[in-house]
Amino acid sequence: MSQDSYRPSFTLSRVDASVAQPVRLFFASAFLWLILASIVSVITAIQLKDNSFLGGCSLTTYGRLKALEGNLFAYGWVTNALFGLNLWLMSSLTRFEFKNAWLANLGGVIWNLTLTYGAIQIVLGNMNGLSLLEMPKEVSLASFVGFLLAALWPAVAFSRRPTGHVYVSQWYILGSTFVFPITFALTHLLVLWCPAQGVLQALVHSWFYQNFHLLWFASSAIAAVYYFIPKESGRTVAAYYLSTVGFWTYFLFASWTSPASLLGSPLPLWIQSVGVVASLLMLIPLVILSINFLGTLSWNRGLSQSWNNTTLRFVLVAIFALILWGALFAVFSTRGFNAVVRFTSFNVGLEHLLSYSFVSFVIFGATYFILPKVTGSFWLSPKLVHLHFWSSAIGTVSLLVITLVAGWQQGSGLRTDWPSGIFPAVLFLIGHIAFGINAFGMLTAKLSSGHESTHA
Amino acid sequence: MKNIKLIFAGVLFTLSASFIGILLSGRVQLGSLGRAPAEEGGPLFPPREPGLAIQGRQVYISLGCVACHTQQVRPASQGNDIAKGYGPRHSVARDYVLQPSVLLGSHRIGPDLANYGARVSSENEIHSHLRSPKAGSAMPSYAFLYTTGKDGSVVPTEKATALVAYLKSLKIDYSSPEAKLNQ
Repeated sequence: MSQDSYRPSFTLSRVDASVAQPVRLFFASAFLWLILASIVSVITAIQLKDNSFLGGCSLTTYGRLKALEGNLFAYGWVTNALFGLNLWLMSSLTRFEFKNAWLANLGGVIWNLTLTYGAIQIVLGNMNGLSLLEMPKEVSLASFVGFLLAALWPAVAFSRRPTGHVYVSQWYILGSTFVFPITFALTHLLVLWCPAQGVLQALVHSWFYQNFHLLWFASSAIAAVYYFIPKESGRTVAAYYLSTVGFWTYFLFASWTSPASLLGSPLPLWIQSVGVVASLLMLIPLVILSINFLGTLSWNRGLSQSWNNTTLRFVLVAIFALILWGALFAVFSTRGFNAVVRFTSFNVGLEHLLSYSFVSFVIFGATYFILPKVTGSFWLSPKLVHLHFWSSAIGTVSLLVITLVAGWQQGSGLRTDWPSGIFPAVLFLIGHIAFGINAFGMLTAKLSSGHESTHA
Repeated sequence: MKNIKLIFAGVLFTLSASFIGILLSGRVQLGSLGRAPAEEGGPLFPPREPGLAIQGRQVYISLGCVACHTQQVRPASQGNDIAKGYGPRHSVARDYVLQPSVLLGSHRIGPDLANYGARVSSENEIHSHLRSPKAGSAMPSYAFLYTTGKDGSVVPTEKATALVAYLKSLKIDYSSPEAKLNQ
């Protein structure tokens, strides 16, 4: 890997210094939640293998811990990291000097305190039955305020930017920043506060779940890929003219795909069919993204060069994961294939492919680039970076093979048990601890007094 | 695209389109769905849940049972649920109209429970399975829901009693205007 990431850089640019405090807070919170989620993930994996493990107590039932794991991962790790990533990216692209760090910090504190409260409530059993909406409804208002304070600053930076040029990354950041609060508020209203009748709850939930993953998680990650590929490879985005079509088709179709996760359910057939069609149409923006990303990287041995760059290595894995996810999602949203893999571990694999292999890998790569710029410090150990990459990469491949193959076998009647995935869960934990040691080493390193420097 | 208002308006349009196209349209079609007789003049279905079963649903949610169990039987054309014996007919939207929180579920680490109450012979069988699951079952023991009486007998807690009442109430033993039992 390139040594660029480890080069000491003790002065922060004015723009980086202006966002350093909230970005460090968001990343520090994200790393803590990630390690906690990884520990819970190991426990639930063991429980799948040995159902008596921690089974003597209501606090540690598989169902509660699985809900806990999902919430810590989604709201703790990914969302906190995206707060920091989007803020830094937008400030960096617009050269906007952030003046309201304390408000973003306040938002981060509120978000993480409500998550802590919600997580405790889940363990205590005061939870709801829909995935990622398990936290009690009193949490939603505080979470919403926390989100607005923490995550809307990219929009402010964009509207007050001193530079006129606009990049593709900025569209995706703005799109994800707008979508999340609207979706979050509408869903909490229609599921928890004024519940819709009967199966409509499941429909609203699927709409939320899909928007959350595709238009908050993936959209923010796509923004980062659009930034890091040209930045680190030194090339302009290939077929740039397609990116506008890619952006609008992505946002137009993604939200309609939600009923595809409810095939065979008691919902009207036409709603399910809309989801299938939208899932196939999602291939259009995904092909455009592939052309933009791989077209840029594959030019003049760019792929092999990318492998030698820490950030691009993670991003490269993420791009292939996104392409694989798009293909599998389209194929297995069709009725025939879906009937086989529905309710099996195959769907766990698909979800992992998007939220971990794509989104989390982009965040990892971005962190290796951004953290030195907001801490004025450098990565402690290249060996830990290698350990993190290979643990996560081997873990993600093995988990995908296990869940996808087992899911197909379950659906075909060739096996009845659920794969436990202890091996990948342990690998993830090892990788995340290595990542955390490196990251917290930087975050706790004494910052130089170079914050006022204008060095870019 | 340099105008933030344009991007916001465009994103809002795409989101609104799916909200109206899927959720509001679904509400128009299903929002007024209520109990109905399978045939004119017959009793109304689905039946109202007993009070204890309503409490039991909260225990079911609280323990996270939905992580492993679904409550939906797919049509024969979209899966082998009926062939597996999960239910005598597929689930329809009307089956859920009385449920305050719908627990369709998305993973089947354990079997589907939409018709579980009809598959077990008695509440004692469910108590027995919760306390010490049958060999080969992936389900952990929920022995913490039970205490020991002064005479050494096993006494279910209120939660266990409510949960069992809820599980026993899960039945698809009636026809619906949309799906008859004999089809």
